[in-house]
Amino acid sequence: MRVDAYEKVTGKALYGADRVLPGMAFAALALARTGRGRLISVDTSAAAAVPGVLAVETHFDLASPGFVMGGGFGFQSLQPMTDDHIAYRGQPIAIVVAETPVAATEAAEAITAEYEDEPTALHLDSEGATTLVQEEAIPLPFLADLKVGDADAVIDASPVTIEGTYEHPPQHAVPMELNGGVVHWDGDTLIVHEGTQNANALRFGLAQQLGIDAANIEVRSPYVGGGFGQKNSLLVHIGPLALVSKRLGRPVKLVLARTQTFHNGSFRPASRQRIRLGADETGKITAAVHEVDQQTSRHDLFPAMHTETSARLYGLSAYRGRQRLVQTDVQTPGYMRAPFESPSMFAFEQVVDELAYKVGRDPVELRLANDTDTDPISGLPFSTRYVADCLRRGAELFGWSGRNPEPRSMRADDGSLIGWGVAIGNYPCNTAATNATLTAGEDGRVTVAVDGHEMGQGIRSTIALHVAQDLGIPVGDVVVQVGDTTVGTQHLTAGSWGTASALPSVHSGLRELRKHLDVADTGDVEVAPAVAAVGHAVTVHADSVGPGQPADALAQSMTGHLAITGPEYPGFVTFSWIAHFVEVRVEPTTCRIRVPRVVSVADCGRVASPVTAASQVRGGVIWGIGAALREESMVDDRFGGFVNSTLEEYPVMVNADVHSIDVDFIDKPDYRYNPVGVKGLGEVSMVGAAAAVANAVHHATGRRHYRLPIRIEHVI
Amino acid sequence: MSTNDLPATTVEVTCTINGDPVRLTLDPRESLLDVLRERLALTGTKKGCDQGHCGACTVHLGGRRVVSCLTPAVQAAGQDIHTIESVAGPDGGLHPLQQAFVDNDALQCGYCTPGQIMSGLACIAEGHMADDDQIREYLSGNVCRCGAYCGIVAAVRQVAGMTQEG
Repeated sequence: MRVDAYEKVTGKALYGADRVLPGMAFAALALARTGRGRLISVDTSAAAAVPGVLAVETHFDLASPGFVMGGGFGFQSLQPMTDDHIAYRGQPIAIVVAETPVAATEAAEAITAEYEDEPTALHLDSEGATTLVQEEAIPLPFLADLKVGDADAVIDASPVTIEGTYEHPPQHAVPMELNGGVVHWDGDTLIVHEGTQNANALRFGLAQQLGIDAANIEVRSPYVGGGFGQKNSLLVHIGPLALVSKRLGRPVKLVLARTQTFHNGSFRPASRQRIRLGADETGKITAAVHEVDQQTSRHDLFPAMHTETSARLYGLSAYRGRQRLVQTDVQTPGYMRAPFESPSMFAFEQVVDELAYKVGRDPVELRLANDTDTDPISGLPFSTRYVADCLRRGAELFGWSGRNPEPRSMRADDGSLIGWGVAIGNYPCNTAATNATLTAGEDGRVTVAVDGHEMGQGIRSTIALHVAQDLGIPVGDVVVQVGDTTVGTQHLTAGSWGTASALPSVHSGLRELRKHLDVADTGDVEVAPAVAAVGHAVTVHADSVGPGQPADALAQSMTGHLAITGPEYPGFVTFSWIAHFVEVRVEPTTCRIRVPRVVSVADCGRVASPVTAASQVRGGVIWGIGAALREESMVDDRFGGFVNSTLEEYPVMVNADVHSIDVDFIDKPDYRYNPVGVKGLGEVSMVGAAAAVANAVHHATGRRHYRLPIRIEHVI
Repeated sequence: MSTNDLPATTVEVTCTINGDPVRLTLDPRESLLDVLRERLALTGTKKGCDQGHCGACTVHLGGRRVVSCLTPAVQAAGQDIHTIESVAGPDGGLHPLQQAFVDNDALQCGYCTPGQIMSGLACIAEGHMADDDQIREYLSGNVCRCGAYCGIVAAVRQVAGMTQEG
């Protein structure tokens, strides 16, 4: 069950822009229409003359928020409207505030500007794009080249070799909730209502930008209308909004237009993946080389982590991973769901499929033959790795044994070519330092405030269920507070570490609560009588860090910074695992590719919340199908930016695209990773799904596809 | 800079929203969506694109489903409008379709959910629930980025079945 479902089906759940405050004014942004250059002048006179306009501002005294991956708080370090530099198309150049949304929009559109254009580099191969070797550009151990043995020499000496270069387009997360919200001031206190996965970064980032004490900033984000990584840090519109609200002395609401969200938040960068694989005649993989070029912006180095997963997929004796960053004229890209892992697996798992064909072995059998208990990079054991079980169970549920391995050999009654494909995926299990506050009230209800954000993954449900099961009380008697800086720290919720990080501190808080209620360490608790016996409501605090993580990580989190560790821990390495089985049908006349059924089996440790977990996997699979067959942000070569910046032209999966998706779990706890045995799930759900679709398309058509998305014109 | 005057061209409109008579003085450019959300605080209806592509703003106007972002508010004149706020009973009891959404976990982040439910109700009323494919087709104007589609179809199918039996 999902504890906040009632609020969501009745429209009562309040998202950031759902606040309607007395005296509220409405803002709109005007964006740069050049791809790069210098702003010579901005003409705001027509905007200022629009009836109902209260303010038109083009310049703000705001410090940089710093880049979230560089010790800062922003999705990028560049704060627009602080100088005359235009770094990318779609960068805000002015903000308008008016009495009504229509007046604000009309005025914003009336703003014109003159630019001194500079040449742009928009693609990985563009003239003027600057390519940097990541380990030299960002000398941090976890971003360095990965090297075990002499992979190139092992591959050269292998009887079977495969290589391929795969292109992954830029993509946008497009959560349904538009970026934006409401800001207002209560005296010297700034209050921000905005959907975010990182209320902490908004709070401390705004403190840095505005030069005020974080104690005077409250960020409230109890519901997030989808994040998928795009809401993982401070966006560029909030600082200006805070200042203009202060100047006007009124609450101000800003909701970005959908087209504006394509340029004022992060996106999945374009990448090119080159893979070489060596194997023996049976398909036992000996070594792999994985080289990646990934797009970043001019102003920030968005680190690539594609090799972290490909290095851990199979039992390799040698591996070499190298990542390069290509600086182009865009806003800084970022962490769209399974940010590196989905592109990485799209490439790697197609190469493995090709290997199966080359050695004449069944793709499932070949993967099982390359299974391992040991991480090839560190030499440490995986704390748990049940990917072989995922493959076996998935094959059985799917009916894989009925597959004719010959491409183009299976046809439906209507003449459609049928293709069956398989791929596996993995995702690192990181852990964040978290704080929890638990209160047992006189009414018998237990309130839990913990680091976390509810963006659809169901963290509120998972925590409520955990507390209810532990104390033996109804789920309805548990109140979970997340996403609100007035009740807790609110560390970034992303990278599938949310639930696995929040539950351990809640678990520890429950032990503490039992002590203070003077009840047994385990077993059902009559909360109201226990509280009555104490004489007052009981509040306890607890915290938790990842295995081997220094305790000062908590202090780091409390100042708004990232405080994560893993997936390599003292003595072990932890990943989540999944196997996807996909059927595609390529229709005979139109060559339209449909996906009538998918079976996905995941190893996410103990399944903490069965209902929401299954939904998470279905969502991830749908993202994988979308990545394989639909989604591409098209670069506008004339003016920079992305040209298909609407939900009409950026085609996300709709209901008619989705059919049967069967989900199952191995459901074996990983108690080395944490005391609740739970690993991450939201991201691994997507990893490998696009590869399984591509492998199925190959099986159906006999053609291998080296770039996404695979469209009708590619299979004709 | 002082506030400019508001536009001289306004239109007086009366209509019924969720059963209540409402009188509005409208800027003719205002969308029904913005009026519902910003002037009447009926924020259950969501803005996901403001371009008619996503369906998050679906409401019922004169018994038909419309995307309220592309519906000028002046079109509400003399009409009956129903939003998600009117679907549950006055005591807060869920409509069978809302309950079916809960039972089938037909939602994740919940942002598209009010629009899905308004479209689902219309889909059933229109008789577009012969089979799962027809339900999918007639709900494909409502995007769910979380990908709760399997549950959404199951929820509509469940209620459509009940309706047919009843």
